[in-house]
Amino acid sequence: MRTAFREVMTGDVRLAGEPAARAMRLELRAELPGLLHPWMAATAEVTGHVHVAGSGDDPAAPDWADDPAATGILEIAPLRARRIRYRLSFTTADGRRLHLDGWKSIRLGRPVRTMTRLPATVLDDSGRVVGEARLRFALTRQLLPMAVSVRTRTDPPPTAADLLRPRWRGRPGRLEVWYATITEPRTGTGLWLHHELVAPGDGAAPYAHGWTGVFPAGAAPVLARFGPVPWRAPDGPEVYRAGEVTVSADRLRGSAGDLSWDLRRCGGGAPLYTFPRWAWRHDVLPAAQIVPLPAATFTGTLRYGQTVVELARAPGNIARIDGHGNAARWAWLHADLGGGDVCEVVAAVAARPWLSRLPALPMVRLRVGGVDLPGGDPLLGAARLRADLDLPHWTVTGRLGGARLRIDVIQPADRTLAVEYVNPDGSPVVCHNTERAHARIVVERRTGGQWRTWRSWTLDGTAHAEVGRRE
Amino acid sequence: MSERALRAVAAAVLGVDDARARVVAARAVRLAGAFPRPVAAGLRAAAVTVNAAAYARTGTGLAALTPDRREAVCAAVTALPGGAQLLDALKTVLLLAASDTAVAAMPRQARADRLPARPDRLPARPDPLPARPDPPLTCITAAEWPARTSADVVVVGSGAGGAVAAREFARAGARVVVVEEGRRFTVDEFRRLPPADRFVSLYRDGGATLALGRPPVLLPQGRGVGGTTLVNSGTCYRTPTRVLRRWRDAYGVPVADPAHFDRLLDEVEALLAVAPQPTDVLGRNGALALAGARRLGWRAAPLRRNAPGCAGSCQCAVGCPRNAKNGVHLNALPQACAAGAVIVTGARVRRLLVTGGRAAGVRFGEHEILAPLVVVAAGAVETPRLLRRSGLGGHPQLGRNLAVHPAVSVAGRFAEPVVSWSGVLQSVGIEELHDDGVLIEATAGPPGLVSFVPPGYGRTLRAQLDGADRLATLGAMVADVPGGRVGARTVRYRLAPTDADRLREAIVAMGRVLLAAGADEVLTGIEARPYARTADELAAAAASAAPADLHLAAFHPGGTARMGADPARAPVDPAGRLRGVHGVLVVDASALPTCPEVNPQLSIMALALAVSRAAA
Ligand SMILES: Cc1cc2nc3c(=O)[nH]c(=O)nc-3n(C[C@H](O)[C@H](O)[C@H](O)COP(=O)(O)OP(=O)(O)OC[C@H]3O[C@@H](n4cnc5c(N)ncnc54)[C@H](O)[C@@H]3O)c2cc1C
Ligand code: SF4
Repeated sequence: MRTAFREVMTGDVRLAGEPAARAMRLELRAELPGLLHPWMAATAEVTGHVHVAGSGDDPAAPDWADDPAATGILEIAPLRARRIRYRLSFTTADGRRLHLDGWKSIRLGRPVRTMTRLPATVLDDSGRVVGEARLRFALTRQLLPMAVSVRTRTDPPPTAADLLRPRWRGRPGRLEVWYATITEPRTGTGLWLHHELVAPGDGAAPYAHGWTGVFPAGAAPVLARFGPVPWRAPDGPEVYRAGEVTVSADRLRGSAGDLSWDLRRCGGGAPLYTFPRWAWRHDVLPAAQIVPLPAATFTGTLRYGQTVVELARAPGNIARIDGHGNAARWAWLHADLGGGDVCEVVAAVAARPWLSRLPALPMVRLRVGGVDLPGGDPLLGAARLRADLDLPHWTVTGRLGGARLRIDVIQPADRTLAVEYVNPDGSPVVCHNTERAHARIVVERRTGGQWRTWRSWTLDGTAHAEVGRRE
Repeated sequence: MSERALRAVAAAVLGVDDARARVVAARAVRLAGAFPRPVAAGLRAAAVTVNAAAYARTGTGLAALTPDRREAVCAAVTALPGGAQLLDALKTVLLLAASDTAVAAMPRQARADRLPARPDRLPARPDPLPARPDPPLTCITAAEWPARTSADVVVVGSGAGGAVAAREFARAGARVVVVEEGRRFTVDEFRRLPPADRFVSLYRDGGATLALGRPPVLLPQGRGVGGTTLVNSGTCYRTPTRVLRRWRDAYGVPVADPAHFDRLLDEVEALLAVAPQPTDVLGRNGALALAGARRLGWRAAPLRRNAPGCAGSCQCAVGCPRNAKNGVHLNALPQACAAGAVIVTGARVRRLLVTGGRAAGVRFGEHEILAPLVVVAAGAVETPRLLRRSGLGGHPQLGRNLAVHPAVSVAGRFAEPVVSWSGVLQSVGIEELHDDGVLIEATAGPPGLVSFVPPGYGRTLRAQLDGADRLATLGAMVADVPGGRVGARTVRYRLAPTDADRLREAIVAMGRVLLAAGADEVLTGIEARPYARTADELAAAAASAAPADLHLAAFHPGGTARMGADPARAPVDPAGRLRGVHGVLVVDASALPTCPEVNPQLSIMALALAVSRAAA
């Protein structure tokens, strides 16, 4: 269920270096998951029209900005954070890209005044202040149209193929990843196919590269790299290509060193949003991860050295990452719980050093019987969870909605690959990955005044996990 | 406060004629405008009481009485319960007001005219030497600052702790905004404006902050870009090793390990250009302290200070007119700004914004800055208040354990002019009793602006003031038991009996130094026995003083959000993080685990350096 509404705000903006303010008008269409209510804490996607008048004295002056295609997000948490924050990007008449950032700061003693005033700052790409806006929601004129505009609807979600398509649009300092992890159940072999598109921060040409890891039962894991080759936008059903390594929604194929694979995908389930949908659509976070195909099966052949493994409906998934690069420390878990159920965990500590002492923010998505937990925004759910990221044993504990969660992951050293690589900013990172991890997931519910185990899963060597850090 | 009511009181207390009293009263009313409401009310009550006493005794108001009878009224008021304290408070304010009208406020020519034969009586030597220019700072007033902004780190308070943290985070690449309640002061203002005017604008509450208790303690705190380092005396003591061991071992603060902390102190000393004060500009006050100590065979030396090029103009407490004294507005803050930090001035943070157990930013006026990390450095009194206003006062020890390092001062009267206000304000340290927690420092200051209050009222006081150039003054601080508590509006401080004993001991010790240096008599600062001419008289005077009779001031409050490993005892953990919330660091005097037993600025800055460097 999603809620859509319209909001119109008017006021003025004083641009740096100008003596008089210019008239400003904001027409927004917002759409958010769930229903609109005061206790909510959610982020809506907004599109809208930003209008800033030409210079004040001359009525015939051309508009300073008149952008009908502004986009951004609206963070709505009137009671929980006492804040409704508007972040919109728009283009001026002379083609400059600007960003409006402002928020209503709700004070319970002055609800009407604070709910209707929106002070905001207009910034350019470099973060310099371009102007200061004071906008108001005119209760008398606008409340009724806004109330009338509220609609709830259920719309077709984007397909896995949509979500797999590359998103890079020429910005430097970006890292985009397509990765698949698979377990072949008969031999117990794990497979990791990691495809990267890197646009270096210094503006150098983007390139594609990656690696493949095989985790045989009873033998040391094997790693082989492919690329780098210059990035070329793929065509047809392909969403990624690096030389002969390709990814499409239905097929993964390629070779690296003495490793080669050709696998066809079947099934997959509905996309799993480990990070909220808005975070994936608008890059306001340093990075975001989603799983377009969380519970797929793969059929085909994998060769490494002299060994040939035939996969027949081997369970696995294809996931995506898009952002500036890797976090300072992070952990990831993909646990296939069977029957289409999955548990996905991404816990990350921001790479910005002054935040590195803050605890990791664990994003957890647990799909049980087709229902994704927690119910709300996973980013807000993260505040109630904590992660302790150590090797070989790491944990995530805390609350998942009304339930209590404990996840234990063990990555035995002899089954783990340490892969070293560089971020777009040039800093080195090491990730410790295995597709043969152990995991235990326990969810407890409170009944009769006591915490009782509601569901639990044990994965013995079939969990896919990784811990990464800047070393 | 009504000016007319004060006029007669000023004439009575200071023993001056009506014309002078008029000027002093007008100024006092203006100064009192900056005082906290209870203090201003207390002064008003004092003025009313003195007038009422006049009616009661003579049937007419004070204004109509002769000087003799006015003094008699003053004497009668001191005999009332609490009367002495009331009159004392009035005297302090009137002296401050008079310090200006006396000399400094007049054009230089007029000063010379008024005191043709005694040029040495000028409170401040005209300073013909140019000042060091102010380094560039990126300051923006709150009025010009956008209502909605975001940053990586917000630092609340630009004093000793805040400045160092701002620099560290800015250098680590964070977008830093420093939010400071006070305004920016320039060296030009320090050269142009009279000391009393600077005094009331540089200090919170116009300098009249009081910790309530018996006795009350004057607790001045600087307010401006640079915080209290704008007005401090420039004395730079390294944290004693015994204190560091206590912090490490009893409070579980690993960074206090002497080997590690010494390196931080070295770095801070280099930042502030700390060096022993050269003796050429020390002044007679310091020289007498050295001579007295030498004769007693006591350890004493010129202090280490952060004031290269100090000319001994003795105005540290109201802003150095030469920019010789290295407050943080001359080093750490410009360095922070060079690394991209911005200082918002005139911005009193009302509260920290907190969402879901994490810091989200700050609010001042109608402004909000969102930031995931808030560094609180508003000073030992304001930090706990700000945290409580923000709903972060959950820790039972927050705002408690206030140690103030209480100070007493005494003066010695010499036959020859001393002119203590010509020389370095705080010049010489006498460490003989330091192992016992008593640190003596020769401290002078412009008349009316020093914490030593001469005894008596009316003509007695007048005579003292006229002979003020022959006084040398010493101060002593006592490492105290943390007996104070910061409330929403008040500060309370209970002087421990053992500390009162050591303050008496300090009075005797300082008196002995002055006598040894050749003083004819010692002004003890004790109401009942204001003069002592021998060591025995000194001891008797000190013994006669009840704790409530001591005149105390304190310049080094700390410990109100102390750091420690024990979550039950310490609101702040050893990494400087406020417990119970994510994303709040405390880096000012409030984080000191105990009284550092010395002037604290180096200790505060080194601790701030350790905390912010580990987090950045
Ligand atoms: C007269 C005097 C002389 C001294 N002499 C010496 C000396 O010689 N040597 C020595 O080592 N120490 C000396 N000290 C002490 C030393 O200066 C202080 O201990 C030190 O500056 C305290 O540092 P701080 O960071 O805790 O706070 P401060 O330096 O006091 O800075 C706190 C700042 O925070 C600001 N602030 C407070 N509340 C808010 C708010 N809500 N919003 C925004 N801003 C706020 C204040 O305006 C202030 O600028 C002296 C002190 C005084 C009063
Ligand atoms: S005594 Fe103080 S005010 Fe005077 S020059 Fe030296 S440091 Fe500056």
